[in-house]
Amino acid sequence: MDGHEVDIRMEALLKVFKEETREIVALKEFSLDVGDGEFVCLLGPSGCGKTTVLRIVAGLETKSGGRVTVSGVEVEGAGSNRGVVFQEFALFPWRTVRKNIEFGLEVKKIPPHEREAVSSTFIDLVNLEGFENAHPHQLSGGMKQRVGIARALANDPAVLLMDEPFGALDAQTRNLMQKELLRIWSATRKTILFVTHSVDEAVFLADRIVVMTARPGKVKRIIPVALPRPRERTSSEFISIRGEVLEELDAEFAKTMMREMTDASVQHKA
Amino acid sequence: MLSLVKLVKGAIALNWRQLLLGALSLAIFVSAWQMYSWYLNANVSGYAAYVPYPGEVAEAFVDSFVTPAGTDGLVMSDHIIASLKRIFMGFVIALSIAVPAGLLMGSYITAEGLGMPIVEIFRPIPPLAWIPLFLVVLGYLKGPAAIVFLGIFFPILFNVILGVKRVDPILIDAAKTLGSKKRHLFLKVVLPYTTPYLMTGIKVGLGIGWMCIVAAEMVGKYGGGVGFYIWDRSDIGQWDYVFAGIAMIAILGILTTGVASQVERRLYAWMGMK
Amino acid sequence: MPKKNFATALILATVLLVAGVATYVVLEQRGGDDENAVYYVVEAPSNMKGVLAANHIDGYIAWEPFVSDAVVDGVGKVIEWSGEIVPDHPCCVVAVYNSFASDSEGQDMSARFLKAHMTATDWINQAMDDSDSADYALLVDIAVEFTERNESVVEEALEHMKFHYAMDASFTTALENFTDMYMELGLIAEGKLADGGYSNVSDFIDKYIDGSYMAAAASIEPSETILNPDSPIRLGFLKGDIHQLAQAVGKSDAVLENGKSIFEEYGLNVENAIGAPFSNGGAVMDAFAGGYVDIGYLGSPPAILKHLNAEVRTSIVAQVNSEGSAIVVHADSGITSLSQLAGKTIAHPGTSSIQFLLLKAALQWEGLELKLKT
Ligand SMILES: Nc1ncnc2c1ncn2[C@@H]1O[C@H](COP(=O)(O)OP(=O)(O)O)[C@@H](O)[C@H]1O
Ligand SMILES: [Mg+2]
Repeated sequence: MDGHEVDIRMEALLKVFKEETREIVALKEFSLDVGDGEFVCLLGPSGCGKTTVLRIVAGLETKSGGRVTVSGVEVEGAGSNRGVVFQEFALFPWRTVRKNIEFGLEVKKIPPHEREAVSSTFIDLVNLEGFENAHPHQLSGGMKQRVGIARALANDPAVLLMDEPFGALDAQTRNLMQKELLRIWSATRKTILFVTHSVDEAVFLADRIVVMTARPGKVKRIIPVALPRPRERTSSEFISIRGEVLEELDAEFAKTMMREMTDASVQHKA
Repeated sequence: MLSLVKLVKGAIALNWRQLLLGALSLAIFVSAWQMYSWYLNANVSGYAAYVPYPGEVAEAFVDSFVTPAGTDGLVMSDHIIASLKRIFMGFVIALSIAVPAGLLMGSYITAEGLGMPIVEIFRPIPPLAWIPLFLVVLGYLKGPAAIVFLGIFFPILFNVILGVKRVDPILIDAAKTLGSKKRHLFLKVVLPYTTPYLMTGIKVGLGIGWMCIVAAEMVGKYGGGVGFYIWDRSDIGQWDYVFAGIAMIAILGILTTGVASQVERRLYAWMGMK
Repeated sequence: MPKKNFATALILATVLLVAGVATYVVLEQRGGDDENAVYYVVEAPSNMKGVLAANHIDGYIAWEPFVSDAVVDGVGKVIEWSGEIVPDHPCCVVAVYNSFASDSEGQDMSARFLKAHMTATDWINQAMDDSDSADYALLVDIAVEFTERNESVVEEALEHMKFHYAMDASFTTALENFTDMYMELGLIAEGKLADGGYSNVSDFIDKYIDGSYMAAAASIEPSETILNPDSPIRLGFLKGDIHQLAQAVGKSDAVLENGKSIFEEYGLNVENAIGAPFSNGGAVMDAFAGGYVDIGYLGSPPAILKHLNAEVRTSIVAQVNSEGSAIVVHADSGITSLSQLAGKTIAHPGTSSIQFLLLKAALQWEGLELKLKT
């Protein structure tokens, strides 16, 4: 933990989704600490509960058991100290770029001229000068996510929760956005909990990579990435860490596959 | 005013192909009508005069604007204004009830559970059926407005409910993580999201409102109105003028919904939705 | 920002409210300020009593039994009977569709129908001569069934109309006057006379009234058998219109001692036309045009209007009644005369009704104008 203060603490999280006919245990005994200013990537096969973890921390989902604290305060519902960046961008289509970024400031009843100053700062930070008055549907995917990041940051949250934020982007834009994110991170030093299912992305971004088990999700292994930034994807260290992470994951992917097949056969029989 | 002109222009500014096809379709209709009239007259049908030639209707249409009626001294423009007033009144009442009701029913399951049965009971009843009741209970002013109201109310209500229910949950989540709660969430996310749906409801409602105007003005045969005009002229057997009145309603309906759908289209575009 | 949004919503709501109230006020304006005008609304007679009771109008003009309906109920009172406005004014007539009477068989049927109509009318009049007679009681029974009213309404209504069939010179003059009034109002275009092959109004009425069937009826004898078993005469008439009681008497099998109806007595199979009973005379004319009615009872004004305007070619072959309409006001109102109607709102059944013509004429003679309520 590099002597960092703990910023997000998840202790023995349990999450059970109750459906009509069955219960799904999405998380069980999930524990993780994220340090102040740290960049942590959550990695795992799809359906292992990454989004669920993030949503519980964000306060958008209730937990069935365990404890979550952010900056030492127990999480209860959503709040502006935890900024969230969504894979689907989730921009308000009827608001301009600027108005989207100012949304959280409006909630806080910050006067218009101050809001404008703040939004201008973040428009600059994410390189969206000239698009202040554009509506989301006029922007490319990468630009939309820049707005999403700026909107979350404008609220000055303690932590940034990002759920596959670049998942909907093409490979090139994705790589660019990863670099941009690192630049923004180093400028703001926010604590970031970043969900991805891309090993490459995780190794490129994270201080630590948290590999989750297949459902019910818990921490399988934490792999620190001690490479200096900017990281070279072609460097041997990068490749060797990637190999290490992949190995951890492969086992879980196999489990997932197995279960999906048995699930299907059970359903088939039923 | 300028923007209104723009809107109307937009409503008719379709591409050439569409315009040509529209003209063709109209030409086919008018020719078929002309031939039917010919046929009736040639066969000395008893009701040949009930299907006047298109030309006679066109003449009557023009005359209806020029020559005041001997009974009430009104010309067509007076009737248009009278009908517009009724439509507007029904519309204002429908809007002011349907919007809050729709927002409530869309937001709360209890409100929906309470409201839906009533809505479902009243929705299928044709406005015509209410005439005797509305006439006696509501009288000549409110009665006709109530008939128009019924036509406009349901499309607005259902579209508002739909809008509220369709609000993208991810937008609600996003707003929540930005600190938005209850009233703010409602005003800043639910309400804007519902606005284009409301506009769709208004567009559909106004169309149905015009369909109800004849029925409405059978309740209150006073003060004029295009529906009143149609009834009055059919009472004395001037069928060319009756069809002129029917054409007038069609035109007014097309204009109203045309403008409304332009507003709707622009609203959707401006809000970046759909 | 929520404040601003809330304010916008508030402003919008206020604008809508003000606009709504403004329209309401504009539309609500009762009548007008013209002291020499009486304001009218058009209303189906079946609604008139209810609308009067609900106080939406100050009075109405209608035919019986819609007058006695309100009087007997204590809702309304009569300030002027139509017979006081124009004594002996014609009202309903029997009309034959010209293409029905285009061959000798149709003409024979029409003459027989007239014979039955005359017999029924004569019977009504002798029954009414003695209100203690069994025939009178039977007449009331028939009328109660036909009008779906109670005895007091029926008896009240019967007092204020005259049943007869003859078409004399005054009848002709009256129909000419009706036509003239419509032409003056521009409701019948000049050209419509020529379209029908008439040189002027008196020529039109002269040809429109066809006395030949009544003349032929004089020599019609009862028939042992039904002459048209397979092609009944399709009869049009108005719903519960007590003026048209003759056709109800003609159908009744209680009037004659031999158990036949008067129509059957003269060899006729008569049935209600599709759509009968109709709600007004205009609808009977429309049904003629559509080919659903052979012979109809209806008011003379709608017959004239649609004969000329909509080219529904019919002939008027007999009278049915005269008088039998009235102007009704609230029972407790202080209004007792026509002149007091100034500034009030009166309902009439429509431009094509005799009641409209009567009301218009009566007010004109009082120096009052009939204006549409706005
Ligand atoms: N609202 C829900 N209702 C029922 N099951 C859910 C719901 N949300 C997620 N799940 C289930 O919980 C498990 C974890 O989901 P999620 O956290 O979305 O996985 P990940 O983001 O890792 O792909 C999945 O099996 C998913 O089907
Ligand atoms: Mg996920």
